[in-house]
Parts: sequence; C-alpha cells; structure tokens
Amino acid sequence: MGRNVLNIYCLAVYTFLLAPIFVVVGASFNAGEFLTFPPQGLSLRWYFTFFENEVFLRAIGTSLWIAAVATFFSVIIGTMAAIHYVNFAGRYKEAVRVAALSPLLLPEILTAIALLFFLYDIGIGTTTMFGLLVGHVLMTLPFVFMNVSASLEAYDTDWSMAARSLGARPFTRFRRIMLPLIKPGMIGGALFSFVISFDIFTISLLLKSIGTATLPIQLFDYLKTNYTPEAAAVSTLSIVATITVVVIVEKVIGLKMHKF
Amino acid sequence: MSQRKTFLLLLPAGVLLVAFLAIPYVSVFISAFREPGQGTPYGEGYTIANFSRILGDWFYVKQALNTMLIGAVTTLATLVIGLPVAFQLARPDLKLRGLFYGIVLSPLLVGIVIRSYGWTILLGNNGVINRTLREWGWIDGPLPLMYNTLGIVIALTHVFLPFMILPIMSAVQGIDPSVSSAARSLGAKRPTVIRRVLLPLAMPGIQSGCILVFVLALSSYVTPALIGGLRVKTTAVTVVDAMIDTFQWPFGAALALTLSVLGGGSVLIFARLTRMKWK
Repeated sequence: MGRNVLNIYCLAVYTFLLAPIFVVVGASFNAGEFLTFPPQGLSLRWYFTFFENEVFLRAIGTSLWIAAVATFFSVIIGTMAAIHYVNFAGRYKEAVRVAALSPLLLPEILTAIALLFFLYDIGIGTTTMFGLLVGHVLMTLPFVFMNVSASLEAYDTDWSMAARSLGARPFTRFRRIMLPLIKPGMIGGALFSFVISFDIFTISLLLKSIGTATLPIQLFDYLKTNYTPEAAAVSTLSIVATITVVVIVEKVIGLKMHKF
Repeated sequence: MSQRKTFLLLLPAGVLLVAFLAIPYVSVFISAFREPGQGTPYGEGYTIANFSRILGDWFYVKQALNTMLIGAVTTLATLVIGLPVAFQLARPDLKLRGLFYGIVLSPLLVGIVIRSYGWTILLGNNGVINRTLREWGWIDGPLPLMYNTLGIVIALTHVFLPFMILPIMSAVQGIDPSVSSAARSLGAKRPTVIRRVLLPLAMPGIQSGCILVFVLALSSYVTPALIGGLRVKTTAVTVVDAMIDTFQWPFGAALALTLSVLGGGSVLIFARLTRMKWK
C-alpha cells in the first residue's frame, strides 16, 4: 500500500516538473495571435516569424559564441586545477576545492555587481565582451572542476607509476595514460559548462555591452512587453537543441555527475 | 614532479579567481560605501548613507523580510515535495529509473527564462489553471496566482526542486541497505525506520539541499521579475533596478551586500540549529 502512495505522489511531482515545459512547447504551435493554451489551431507560423527575426537570431549567435569560448577556457583551466586538486594538493585539498567551487557558492547577483565595479575601475567597463566572457568562465569553472575531479578520483595512480617504470616521460604519461582516462570527465564538464553558459542570466544582464544580448536576455526583454507565441517557438527550439546535444553525448560517452 | 612545477597547474585558476572574484569582492565592499556620482557610476567621497537609507526605510526592510520569507517557504516546499522523490529515485530496483532521473534533471536543461515563462502561461489570470477551473465551474473570477508572493513561490519551487532532490538522493544512495533491514529485524515499524534511521542518515543531503535552494532563491532575479511583475518586487529585483534603470551603483551594491549578509547569517543559524557538520 505504502509503495503505491509513494509512486502516485512521485508521478504528481514529475507532472509538476514537466508542466511548464509542456505548456511552452504546446503554445509554440499556436495559430492565433495571442498566447493561449491549449492552442487555437495548430500552425508553424511563429516559427517562421522567428526565422525572420534578426534580433533573436543574433542573440542565439552571441549565446553560442560566448558559450563556446567560455567553455574552451573553462575546460583548460578547470582540468588543470582538478589534476592539481586530486594528485598534488595534499593538505590544501579542501582549500583548493572551496576556491574552485566558490563562484557557485557566492550569490550570482553580488558577483555580477562586483565584476561590474571592477571592470569599471580598471577602465574596461562594458565596452567590450571581455567582462561578459570572464563572468561566464567563472560561473562554468566549478562544473568542469567537479566533473574532471570525479573522473580523476577513479584514476589509479599505479597506472602512471607502471608507465613511469617502463620509461615513459611525464608528458607521454599524461597524454597516453591520464588524458584517455579523464576524457569522459572533460567532455561531461564541457557539456555542463556549455549548457550552464547558455542559461546564465544575471551576470549577462549586468555585464553585457551594447549589442551583445544573449538569448536569455533577449527572451526576457521580449517577454516584458510582448505576449505572442513567438517566444514559445524560440524556447521550444532551444529546448530541443539542448536535449538533442545532451542525449547524443549521453549515448556516446555516458554522462556521470558523481558529486553535486 | 617538484612542488613548484605542480603549482603551475593551479596558476590559471588561481589568477582567474583572485583577479576576477576575490579582488572584485573587495572592491564591491568598498564601493558600497561610495557617495552617489553625478554622471559617473559613483562619486569621490565615502559615506554610510547607502546603508542607513536601506535600514531607515521600512520599504526596503519589509522587502528584504519578504524576500527572506519567499526563500524560506520555497526551501520548505522543495523539501516537502522533493524528499519522497529523492528516496524513490535512490532505490536501485526502481523501474524506469533513468527516465525519472531525466525528468528531475530536465528543468536544469531548460533555461530559467523559459521555465519562468511557462509558469506565466500557467498562472496568469487568463492562464491554463484559471481558465480550466472556470470552465469546470469551480470558480467565478480568476484566482490571484500571478503578480503576488504565492506565484513567485510556486515558480521558484519548480525552478529549484532539482537542487533539493539531487543532494538528498546521493546521500540516501550512500546508506547501507542492511542498516534498515537490521532495524526492521529488531522490530522497528516502517515509519520508525524512516524517522529514526533513514532521515538522520540522509541529513547531510537534506542540509546541503536546503542551503543551496535558500541561497539560490534569495538571489534569483528572472523568476520574481517575470512572475511578480511590477506588483511584487524582491530585493534582488530592486538591486537590478538600481544598477541598470536608475544607475545608482553604490546603493545597488549596498542593497546586494545587505541581502547577502542576511542570507549568509540565516545559513549559519540554520547550520547551528541542525548541528551541521561542515565538509
């Protein structure tokens, strides 16, 4: 009896989790002028409107570019830090971990304001994309660090010792032994980093320069004044794209998030 | 490798975190005491006026208290809703476990703007919930679900539920199944096992879930801005207004710092009350 009650309860929670997502997807196929659900007739008209809307297309381009560049730096910096953390940090291990995760532990809104003041003080301000990129690298770093250090914990240092006794130099040991073992962690970290960067809001809102609105910012701006289903069409495409990428990566390498 | 060489691995992350996180945090702390500027983000002199303006104005104090209340209720709601789900997901014999796990993760893959937007479609006066209830004849006028604290709490509960479920789930997965069998064999009934054995062992996960959700809910901007509209504003929304719309940087910084200190203080009190062991 208890089991059934629990199952029904959980199904209700899953419905609650999926409801807003379903509603957005459903509303995007609306044939009418206004956002209603269930839709008044089905059509793809809002998708066509979206494909002609340069503002959204440019915002998607900006988001993709920032996510790619930020992920690139995050993966390099985060992987190096994770290797140090697992293998060499010794008694500083806890300090390294807290430092690497700190962007996640500090309130994003205060981090955004702090960066804004700092960029202004050093004379860069928000005239370039530099600040936006730095903010995105900061916010995605913890995810790379968590993923790579999780796969490193499973890595047996005996492998490295064996290679060493067979005469492998440090770089060869890294390339032939460690890299293949931590690759899944790096790819997982990169994926998380990309998805997180695509969704960062407060940092992007405060640090964006003119003409560099990311997709979430543009969508938010649009929603403040418009109620057409075009926003739902944009959202649906973004949901489909994210889920496709995640499912492909999951199928190819298998994702594991060991620690949260 | 020598100590110095291995240190190089940490260098890029160290430089990034010191230059673009630690130093900016010091500067934001100083900047909150700056005078307002004329045409510039802040003026030359220093003052405590930004803080006395916040503490001396019932509007800001009430708003901060309301924001804390929203955070606390959201935390409680995610805990009550998420706890049974976390226990169910932690069962290794669960059928379709991958699917359910995917559903729990799904909100994280869908942008926060999109999720909040979904709630505006559901909760609005002409939204799905109100129209359905009206068609069924259960209500005459629309229930006030949006542009108020209730709507913000509902949407935030949805947005942050995964952050409650996942830590509890991993804590429960770490519990040795033989512990509860042992309790059962000693005559403990199922509710007793849950209350006396499983919940205490899951406590570290519950604590980190609560802290995570509370902090995220306090500083969240998108959801309160979209659901609350112009009617109900949280402190975070007022902070962004001050930074972007009215260009009062020092005041915005002071307000954000006040909110963070309140949040940090609540976390410490919570940790003390639940006898949390920091890890």
